[in-house]
Amino acid sequence: MGGITLQDAGYFAGGKEILSGLSLHLEEPRIGIIGRNGSGKTTLLRLIAGLVAPSSGTVRVDGIDPFTDRKGALSRLGILFQNPEHQILFPTVEEELAFGLRQQGLPQPQALDTARATLATEGRAHWAKAPVSTLSGGQKHWLCLQAVLMMRPATILLDEPFAGLDLPSIARVSRRLAALPQRLVTISHDTAAVAGADRVIWLEAGRIRADGPPAQVLPPFTAEMARIGEADADADLAG
Amino acid sequence: MLTLTSPVETPLHRLPAGAKLAALALFTLILFRLSTPLPLAGAAALVAALHLPWERTFATHAARMLRPLWPFVLVVALWHLWTRDLNGGAVILLRMVTAVAAANLVTMTTRLSDMLAVFEALARPLSPILPPRRLALAFALVIRFIPTLSDRMALLAEAFRARSPRQPGWRLAVPATLAALDGADQAAEALRARGGTD
Repeated sequence: MGGITLQDAGYFAGGKEILSGLSLHLEEPRIGIIGRNGSGKTTLLRLIAGLVAPSSGTVRVDGIDPFTDRKGALSRLGILFQNPEHQILFPTVEEELAFGLRQQGLPQPQALDTARATLATEGRAHWAKAPVSTLSGGQKHWLCLQAVLMMRPATILLDEPFAGLDLPSIARVSRRLAALPQRLVTISHDTAAVAGADRVIWLEAGRIRADGPPAQVLPPFTAEMARIGEADADADLAG
Repeated sequence: MLTLTSPVETPLHRLPAGAKLAALALFTLILFRLSTPLPLAGAAALVAALHLPWERTFATHAARMLRPLWPFVLVVALWHLWTRDLNGGAVILLRMVTAVAAANLVTMTTRLSDMLAVFEALARPLSPILPPRRLALAFALVIRFIPTLSDRMALLAEAFRARSPRQPGWRLAVPATLAALDGADQAAEALRARGGTD
């Protein structure tokens, strides 16, 4: 079966229920997941990516379990972390780009060649040997997305892909994402980031509050956020 | 190791890394066989001479890199002045400074990737217990995260000073350790997201 399927999936950590009873079938090309801070958005993305195993229920991507079948997961799912610092593993740009290819079975010299060729077509040939620590925030973001794209996953999971970017960078990244043939699952607290999606899922306290086209989900979400904002929104602790 | 990069490119950079490391090992061995000040002074002069034909910044950078040695030089010198063993003191000091300067010279003139290639080749006999790819990954992770950890330390120190009139000092040990553990968790997750180490 194609697509991402969650069946009654739940996730507990530190004795707290972060996600519970999620049943979803995701197959649209552009999917948005919105919710407040602490609603479980990032955990849901990590669950789909197979970075954590569900505490209850199942997660399947094209029929495989992304947590146990890592090899199968790599060609199906790429994940862009919210903070590029948490994603970058290597001291230089070319090594960072080559790593995923090597994990997919390409020998190191070819992986490095592919990385350099990709940098050249992107007008960044001079980046190859650059230490990652010298890149700006926007450049690190570019590197992380490029590293994921080079592995050619069918679906890309994006965790707040515009967080911390300046306005020109946001325009550039949106354009780049819009042009991708892959299925994109974008999580955000910002309705603008998911307004163009085919389907939007509103997550609230680890459960699905609403699920449908943006025109149906976003207006009530915006109204609810405004209403909570009027009150003291931040006093409750999660769980 | 990361600050030990040369500001200028010298002909020494073009020598193979393996040869330089072997020469360094041999040179250091000889240093420990010499037990009188005069030949040791000769060895020190030789190392110093290797710094001089290039641009001035190279020698000054190298001299700056020896600065961490001065406390030890001071302690050893004072001790030998106290025991009136000037000969023994000169031998130890010359040997120590020369050995460190020679090691710095090799590090300064060798690209890290070449150095790693030598280590990987040397570690090949160990491959049944220590797979070379895993070793290479470990090297890469260390080089990647040393600057990150020192940045994190600086941020913690800043956050401390922003709300305290005191110097943070040892008080950062626990938050810095926790930050390092957090970083390790995040790196593990990032590795898993792109295929782990297999």
